[in-house]
Amino acid sequence: MNTTQIRTMTRDFILKEFLPGERPENLTDSTELISGGILDSLATLKLVTYLEKSCGIEIAPDELVPENLNSIGHIADFVQSKQAST
Amino acid sequence: MDFALNEEQRILRSQILRFAQDKLNKDVRQRDRDQVFQRELWGACAQMGLTGLPVPQAYGGPGLDSLSTAIAIDALGYGCEDSGLVFSICAHLLACVVPIWKFGTEEQKNRYLPGLCDGTLIAANAMSEPESGSDAFAMQTRAEPHGDGFLINGTKTFVSNGPVADVAVVFAVTDRAKGYFGGITSFLVDRALPGYLVAQKFEKMGLRTSPIGELVFKDVFVSKDAVLGGVGGGSRLFAHSMDWERACLFASHVGTMERLLEKAVAYTRTRRQSGQAISKHQAVAHKIADMKMQVEAARLLVYKAAWGLERSQSVSLDAAVSKLFVSESLVRTTLDVVQVFGGYGFLSEFDVERAVRDAIGSKLYSGTSEIQRNIIAGWLGL
Repeated sequence: MNTTQIRTMTRDFILKEFLPGERPENLTDSTELISGGILDSLATLKLVTYLEKSCGIEIAPDELVPENLNSIGHIADFVQSKQAST
Repeated sequence: MDFALNEEQRILRSQILRFAQDKLNKDVRQRDRDQVFQRELWGACAQMGLTGLPVPQAYGGPGLDSLSTAIAIDALGYGCEDSGLVFSICAHLLACVVPIWKFGTEEQKNRYLPGLCDGTLIAANAMSEPESGSDAFAMQTRAEPHGDGFLINGTKTFVSNGPVADVAVVFAVTDRAKGYFGGITSFLVDRALPGYLVAQKFEKMGLRTSPIGELVFKDVFVSKDAVLGGVGGGSRLFAHSMDWERACLFASHVGTMERLLEKAVAYTRTRRQSGQAISKHQAVAHKIADMKMQVEAARLLVYKAAWGLERSQSVSLDAAVSKLFVSESLVRTTLDVVQVFGGYGFLSEFDVERAVRDAIGSKLYSGTSEIQRNIIAGWLGL
């Protein structure tokens, strides 16, 4: 799975689950998800569960940090690095 | 899909049931009255493997799968009338032993798990604070870098096993700017460390044989080796622990409900009013039918959530549904049993009034019923 695919599936999931009715162009690769209030604690867990299941990765507790999850761009880079390391 | 227990699970259930009925029920009423936690009973439970059920044998546990763990706890809840002892074992096992087993370093596993499994060590999970309960990130306990480790300062409250614990899994803010994920870290803190203070022990309505109280940390220095699950990993670790606790602790309540159901059936078949057994009165029989329905539904929900623990990345939704249903069913069942027993149910010697007192907390601990509904709503996209 390349970063473009990861970005697309992550964007689709966030729009469907957390931003129903939002215009897709308003959710960019750099939109702040956690500090911007789109992902609260439960939504973050939901997203992580989705990424783990869809991408075949396991995210350790100390990897669940804003540096890895605060934007679609961050998420795509993080997921790809996890896939590469496994 | 097979709903039957396999041979190993049947034997496990039967052994734990017999052990609990034979060894754990003596003087329960008096222990409840005096709020006595008996270390000898803890040791006996440890010998049965109950304090380390899913822990691999290499670390001193029986190495049960998650569903068998729930089956074992269900049997314990059925056989043991000391709900406080059962609660203490579950708090130790599911919110402390499991996260060490799942997220600990090899050094941490080798250091703690054998003692936690064989009963020489008791553990407590220290999350809640005087000013933060359901809103966990409002916690004030801080862990600041200091030398080769951290200095922990803060007060934890409602710590199950706190007064007797040898080691605590303590959650503290390490970086408030990072927020809930990334900003909280969990630490393994030994009771023997300077600055670790066991403060007041609480008197409570139910589960009185399970000690609960406050822990105060005053400049407690822990080395970086005490970090459990990595710096910033506390929230995920806590969420994972809650999945196990909500799925498996509440298995004990299924066992309790089944025991109470059987007690109600036996009582109503022999207690006579107006020339017949009170079980022949529909008003009584319907209450008991409802108890049966709740036991059966509760068991399916608990076993499904427990089964998912090692098959899914998160069982948060199933665990919340199960926890909510079981706790509310337990409270309803205990109140109905008192009603069925009539005036006798109000007397201590019939033990059902204690069951009510023990049940009430189930709607509060491991996240209140309201929090479970929030979680369920969140998973539904509401």
